[in-house]
Amino acid sequence: MKRASPLVVSRGERGLAVADENSPLGRAGQARLLHWAIRALKATVPPIAAVALALLVSAALLAVNGFPATDVFTIMVTGVFHDVRSTSEVFLKATPLILIGVGLCVAFRCSIWNIGAEGQLYAGAIAATAVGVSFVGLPAWLHIGLILAAGAAAGAFWAAIAGLLRIFFNASEIVTTIMLNYIAIILTDFLVTGPLKDPAAAYPQSAKFLRDLWLPRFLPPTRLHIGILIAVALAVVAYVFLFRSSAGYAVRVVGINPHAARYAGINVPKNILLAIAISGAMAGLAGAVEIDGVTFRLYQDISPGYGFEAIAVALLANNNPLGAIFSGILFAALRSGSELMQINAQVPQVLVFVIQGLVILSVVGFAALKRQTARPAE
Amino acid sequence: MTIDRRAYLAGMAAALATPVAGAAQAADEFKMGLLVPGSVAEQGWNRIAYDALMDVKNKLGAKVGYVELQENPAAFEKAFRDYASQGYNVVLGHGFQFQDAALTVAEDYPSTVFLISSSYIHKGKVIGLNTDSSQPFYLMGAIAAKMGKGAGLVGGMNIPPIKEAFDGFARGAKATNAAFPVSEVYIGNFQDAGAAKEAAVNMISHGADIVVPNANTAGLGVVQAAREAGPNVGTFSVFSDYTSVAPANILAVYLASYGAGVVRIVTGIKNGDIPKSNVDFGLKDEDVMKFTYNDKAAKPVPEDVRKYVESVKAKIVAGEIQTRKK
Amino acid sequence: MQNVVHLSFAATTVAAAWRLATPIVFAAIGETISERAGVINIGVEGIMLLGAFTGFATVFATGDLWFGFAAAVGAGLLAGLLFAFFSITIKANQIVVGAALNLLGLGLTSFLFRTYFVSTGQGVQIAPALDIPILSNIPYIGPALFRQNALVYSTILVVIAARFLLRRTAFGLTLRAVGEHPKAVDVAGLSVSLYRYCAVLIGGALAAFGGAYLTLAHANQFVEGMTSGRGFIALAVVVFARWSPVGAFFVSLLFGLFYAMQLVLQAEPNLGVPYQALQALPYVVTIIALVVVRNRTDAPSMLGVPYRKA
Repeated sequence: MKRASPLVVSRGERGLAVADENSPLGRAGQARLLHWAIRALKATVPPIAAVALALLVSAALLAVNGFPATDVFTIMVTGVFHDVRSTSEVFLKATPLILIGVGLCVAFRCSIWNIGAEGQLYAGAIAATAVGVSFVGLPAWLHIGLILAAGAAAGAFWAAIAGLLRIFFNASEIVTTIMLNYIAIILTDFLVTGPLKDPAAAYPQSAKFLRDLWLPRFLPPTRLHIGILIAVALAVVAYVFLFRSSAGYAVRVVGINPHAARYAGINVPKNILLAIAISGAMAGLAGAVEIDGVTFRLYQDISPGYGFEAIAVALLANNNPLGAIFSGILFAALRSGSELMQINAQVPQVLVFVIQGLVILSVVGFAALKRQTARPAE
Repeated sequence: MTIDRRAYLAGMAAALATPVAGAAQAADEFKMGLLVPGSVAEQGWNRIAYDALMDVKNKLGAKVGYVELQENPAAFEKAFRDYASQGYNVVLGHGFQFQDAALTVAEDYPSTVFLISSSYIHKGKVIGLNTDSSQPFYLMGAIAAKMGKGAGLVGGMNIPPIKEAFDGFARGAKATNAAFPVSEVYIGNFQDAGAAKEAAVNMISHGADIVVPNANTAGLGVVQAAREAGPNVGTFSVFSDYTSVAPANILAVYLASYGAGVVRIVTGIKNGDIPKSNVDFGLKDEDVMKFTYNDKAAKPVPEDVRKYVESVKAKIVAGEIQTRKK
Repeated sequence: MQNVVHLSFAATTVAAAWRLATPIVFAAIGETISERAGVINIGVEGIMLLGAFTGFATVFATGDLWFGFAAAVGAGLLAGLLFAFFSITIKANQIVVGAALNLLGLGLTSFLFRTYFVSTGQGVQIAPALDIPILSNIPYIGPALFRQNALVYSTILVVIAARFLLRRTAFGLTLRAVGEHPKAVDVAGLSVSLYRYCAVLIGGALAAFGGAYLTLAHANQFVEGMTSGRGFIALAVVVFARWSPVGAFFVSLLFGLFYAMQLVLQAEPNLGVPYQALQALPYVVTIIALVVVRNRTDAPSMLGVPYRKA
């Protein structure tokens, strides 16, 4: 079960290396490099091929319905990488997807099917807003910290409800998290028309955050804020937690086989609660980051389904937090591109859902192929 | 009757000629962009803006583009920039929720005019265009109170454009008959036509004989409920003309031709005449707001009621009746 | 007199509950059969949308209502086949494939609707109401309850059929065994995959049929995303009802009742409760119900686990 150190593995595969013995790296070094290159290739080729296949099928769908498929995809790609601003928008969109996706990697590794990230995002956004519009006069850095902490805590709390119901009442978390989604969204609707409503405006929205409290932007004039850096940093933390710590190991064992975990003396309920709370905290943080980095106030529809999309982000990354960084960016690029595709080619933007669905199917298809070919070696 | 959308799209082929974002375009070309928070294929709120955009295209020869965004404030700013950076002269954000994003983007694109639907904003080149639906709803309320026993209003969500209209209805009804009961239900979204229908069916069973929708396409469930309830239940066609859907039940049609208003404003902008204040379309703007009766209804609005409504309308236009809170 | 009025109001509310429950009953029974065979399909919402759109588009083009329902069922079978291929044949994670199906259902129906329809509200002619003789003439409650369309009544038939199928037929018994002890079924020389395929296809067909009810027998329009979460509610119903078709019927009805009641209560002026509290009611109740019934003991033991031959 335990992961071997890279060095050991590379020794084992030394035979693969077709290295120049006189190279400055030395034979072992080269073998290691090659090993890592092969590993990286093995990890990245299937998802890329899967995405390409999904795009191909989408292109066929476009062509069948009379749209110029090649033009459409040219628009998507060139649009997304057209200039600094359009690329920065991709990262802006990727921020909540990565945050939530990373959290879901932890839950899914524990075989906890948290379908409620959307609701946890809303819970986080509500708490962040409540903190953001009160405590006037705090130092800005402290206030921002509180806003983010409140979001994470509220998300963790919202998810923990489902976790506790699962542990104590055997209530399926798939069902309870879905129900909690509805409740959080309806609660937001109530709050922005009632207690949290901006007293100065007629619209259903909270008061706007003071400029001092906004998450700092690091690439002006784009609106890219430090949320993306937080997301990437937390992805690394989550990776280390899952794959390099004994606590993360316990979470994974519970996910693979709870009975075995119990025999091994692992506290199964504690790990279930931990995993779902982490995923909730990340989703809640995503809500807080959206509020404090993008919208600066709470609305009824603060998320266009980031919580659901992030499920696909985690799955595409094979529940690896580092992979979620890239799949998050990919899904954000698809969404950004789909908006441009509509502006410039009048293709209904909802096509992005079809592409996302196809990407997931295609990824699991490739994963199955890999399993089939790997089977004899097992 | 449903039309192949392709016919509409064919007219927009110009947009495809320069497919890449930001590609060089003729500098003198007048361009207008539109942001809608949903689908323009659906009859209702988003469709009104799309039709307005088509009017601008046809009447002014402008190059136009639109984007259907989900209700997602994070995407609004990007979409505004996508248009402004491509040199669009006018961008219409179709809903008050676009206001914040427009104000932000306007700072960076001083030559673009941003129009915001159902907003009262006026700040530089960010201009609110409100259609005051509380006025025609006030007239509906007056008709309902004259002809019916009770009214039920079915809304999508409790947001200002809908709430204001419903309050206008209630004011119009109470001013006509203080004891006339009016009830409201919000289904909580704009998709669930089944729920809208059941809300109306319930109100009818509780004695309402006038039911009025204001929930985009989901509102058609209310019209359907009226039709199934038979000729004794009346309803109104709101924003668009649905008379053919329930010819016996629709008493009057409130047609918002937002396009006429938008064309008027955009023509001004094209000629260098940018509005000096926010724009509030009402019954006074006869090109924008049409209120007509359905003579084929099972129980058409009687002549004396029409006279009464005419006098109310005159007072609203003259500013003697306030249909909404100022 | 007052009591009689209340009686008729109650009957109207129950009738509304029944109509609102109908699509959920179909989807939940389909999902029950699928889950009994050990396959959990969270793509019900997407399949319902596919059924709603396919049914609507077909009736729009042909004008034939029954053709529309047939086409919707066909779409459901196709979606089921896709799901079965990925989750059974290549043994992909069922939750993952279900999530993909939801995206495909929403995306595909919205994309096609936006591409081919510019609705002017006309919609389609929906299934007519059928008066049940004698019953529909019961004073006060008859007209409300027994003047529905055939699909609403047919929820009772589908429940009976599903119960019979699962309890009294060899096929049904094997199906349940596949969900509990697939190895035993395999050893007995029967194909686990074949039975699971059948269960998933039945589930897909029923979900799509429930979706088609929305466009062809309740409202007369297709609206993007019009299922509004009914597929997810159906998933909750299955668990709440402990994988029993009869239970699924009554739990769906309970859901319908809560929904109908919140519409009734909202219309009540001066209630003093924010309408959002009423809207949240069905979801809160589901969670409470899950706590009360303390489930999982009845869950098929191999639910969600792909079967691999040793």
